[in-house]
Amino acid sequence: MTDPLLPAWSEPFTGQDTGGLLRAGRVETIDREWAWGSSTGAGVRVAIIDSGLERGHPALDGRVVESVAVEIVDGEPRVVEDDAGDLFGHGTACGGIILGLAPEVELVSVRVLGSDLRGKGAAFLAGLEWAVERGVQVANLSLSSKSDALFPAFHEVVDQAYFGGVALVSAANNVQGASYPSLFASVFSVAAHAVPDPWWLYYNPAPPVEFGAWGVDVPIAWKDGGRTVATGNSFAAPHICGIVALIVAKHPGLTPFEIKTVLAAVANDPRDLSRG
Amino acid sequence: MAEDQSTNETAALRALRAAARRSDVARRIQGDVEQALLQSIVEATAALFDAEASSIALFERDPERLEFRVAAGAQGAGAIGLSVPPSHGIVGYVFSTGQALALSDVLSDPRFDRRTAERTGYVPRSIAAVPLVDGQAPVGVLQVLDKRSSPTFSLRDMELLGVFARQAAAAITATRVQRDTTLLLREVIREIGDEGMTDEAVDALVAASTVGLDRDDAVPFWRLVEHVSGLHAMTDRELTLVADILEVVSRHAARAGRRS
Repeated sequence: MTDPLLPAWSEPFTGQDTGGLLRAGRVETIDREWAWGSSTGAGVRVAIIDSGLERGHPALDGRVVESVAVEIVDGEPRVVEDDAGDLFGHGTACGGIILGLAPEVELVSVRVLGSDLRGKGAAFLAGLEWAVERGVQVANLSLSSKSDALFPAFHEVVDQAYFGGVALVSAANNVQGASYPSLFASVFSVAAHAVPDPWWLYYNPAPPVEFGAWGVDVPIAWKDGGRTVATGNSFAAPHICGIVALIVAKHPGLTPFEIKTVLAAVANDPRDLSRG
Repeated sequence: MAEDQSTNETAALRALRAAARRSDVARRIQGDVEQALLQSIVEATAALFDAEASSIALFERDPERLEFRVAAGAQGAGAIGLSVPPSHGIVGYVFSTGQALALSDVLSDPRFDRRTAERTGYVPRSIAAVPLVDGQAPVGVLQVLDKRSSPTFSLRDMELLGVFARQAAAAITATRVQRDTTLLLREVIREIGDEGMTDEAVDALVAASTVGLDRDDAVPFWRLVEHVSGLHAMTDRELTLVADILEVVSRHAARAGRRS
């Protein structure tokens, strides 16, 4: 029985059963084979919070299992079923990159762009909230909000995701000033590097941006079944997202900070580039 | 005491009214400073990147659209005046998300949406676009088409473009505040007013200061201001002539004033 004098916060460390503390292993024992070897992402749902997904696009390979959109009605966000596809091509690009790494994940499209611009911060927030409550394990956010008014609400939903074990992968915004949720500590913030390798990832011990992935001249899926080549942090984030999905599929129940630790352990060494 | 305060208020209101009138006159006579500033920014951008074109689209309401206001470079001119919906294309995406991005290899994709590009008379092979963010909200997009030295844009290009975008956004904010009398007064009242002043109180004071600032061009005063603003293009000799005519008119007005 738990000592009534101990605060509840100590219980996991002092109670009868400390089995909850047994974890995968020390950081140096983790390598890519352990992390995601033979994983295809099967069984993992990934939400793409973006401009929608073009279900029939060859790059998405029929992996879209659900599509919703956030509409603003009388100033209030409402989540509805969506068959508008992808208004810009960007969501499809992200989905294609993720499937390139984790071919058997299921994609959930949460379209928060393309409707009324006045409510776009609120729509983004509502879409994120919906995805977290829907029980996806990973979400890709290649967008962010600069609204200070939405800071507390974003903070709340991002914490809810973190404690609920949902990995939120957020593209860093290069525009000066704070942007949410990409600057929150609990998300996987990602910026672009120029090494043309989808598996090449960096861990940055000096945040706010913690991870680097390929984001320069990336071949991507685009609107109307097309393809193009693109550059931007928003194409780096889905690379980390795909790798996270692989890790989650192989090690269900890993928490976001454990996944970060795994990524940090298997991150590439920049010196390897010059060694050829 | 109460009387003193009301006299002070009247004097303050008179001062605000005069300021509002001067600001309006200045805005009309000065022409579009914003346009000139933005033009210099796209020219610098096109030159620095050695690009075929550079342009700035600003967000406008009713209906919501991104309107290309200035452009530079050999292939830039066709974009000016063009409007695109913010729910559309690369410029719309960058505006909606606040995320910078670049696309290349655009031409090799036959399904790429080229409608907008074709309306400008120029279909680019590569595009880089960054948002113009004023404080918390994007106000527009700065884009560069086809860097001549390379088929793609590097990360450094994107960062550099971000710096230009910050300059442009700062310029837009500054000139918009100066141009818009209501905005200007609101800023001034907030600056000098009591800290506890509510938005409603500020708005009421702004309304009281701008009442009677009739923007109807049929009002003789504004017709005169319009004429004066139209003199920009004149040579010094022509301007001297206009000044002489106005001097005669104003002497006549002074005499008429004394007689009545």
